[in-house]
Amino acid sequence: MKKNWLGTIAEICLIVVISATAGILWNRTLLTSAWRGETAGQAQAAPAGEELPMPLGLMQIKEMFDAKQAVIVDARSSVDFAEGHIAGSLTLPLEEARKNPASPFKVKLPADATVIVYCNGFSCHDSMDLGKILMHAGYATVYVYEGGFPEWRDAGYPVAKGGA
Amino acid sequence: MRKLKRHLPATVRTLLGAIFIYAALLKIADPVAFAGSVAAYKILPYFASYLTAAVLPFVELSCGLLLVLGYRVKGGALLIGVMNLVFMIALGAAIVRGLDIDCGCFKQGGSKTTPWTALLRDAVFFAMTVFVLKAESNRTKQTSPQQF
Repeated sequence: MKKNWLGTIAEICLIVVISATAGILWNRTLLTSAWRGETAGQAQAAPAGEELPMPLGLMQIKEMFDAKQAVIVDARSSVDFAEGHIAGSLTLPLEEARKNPASPFKVKLPADATVIVYCNGFSCHDSMDLGKILMHAGYATVYVYEGGFPEWRDAGYPVAKGGA
Repeated sequence: MRKLKRHLPATVRTLLGAIFIYAALLKIADPVAFAGSVAAYKILPYFASYLTAAVLPFVELSCGLLLVLGYRVKGGALLIGVMNLVFMIALGAAIVRGLDIDCGCFKQGGSKTTPWTALLRDAVFFAMTVFVLKAESNRTKQTSPQQF
């Protein structure tokens, strides 16, 4: 019985070793660039390997909001947007942007516009994902507001409802 | 009914294997996106996410193939069980920390599967694994000489 178990454990180890070797060899270019700390996948036409949107905090966003320096984009669903959003923001749910990543906006927005993307706060990654799509679409200055709608609302800054 | 009972173990084993092969191929096709999904769990550091994204799909593929082929089923199924447990712990951690992420279990960057749905699905896969292991141990018992 003990021998049986030892055999099974050896079998499992063998499966893992063979698979790991195959996986490492298959992805060797990707792993080498990741090991060097380069943004991954640059050599391939893979969707990643891009510059990441810069995260910004509440105060900086508020300053840009007051100075009307940026276009603020809501990455959440249109239902969430209708329930409440940062005043003056545009709705662009991540799912919709994914359907048309080359020109995600319905309205015309110049490529040199400063864009701030937000969603539902620190635990939400949709804003970062949407930010990446926008950078791929040619927008050079994209920021992610990581505090998102909850932080903005709780700070008592201007919000609006409806208009999805 | 008896016919069903006879064929059920092989059906479940093949189905489970096929699911893992399918999941593995989707991830192998887009390792960068899968690395992103792994990183979104915020459990592993940068390089480890890539290493996991490189290795894990191949382990899934090997186990899936073993199950479908019916060769070394015990080892393959045990490994699938362990992977399922690890996935469930990671998903549980994501739920506890309130992470709003896609599970990254199958198609990367497709429609979002919430951690709760993924956890439920993994529980079903885990039950299937236990069933396969039980059936396998019954089968080996039957073929052993100690059988009455």
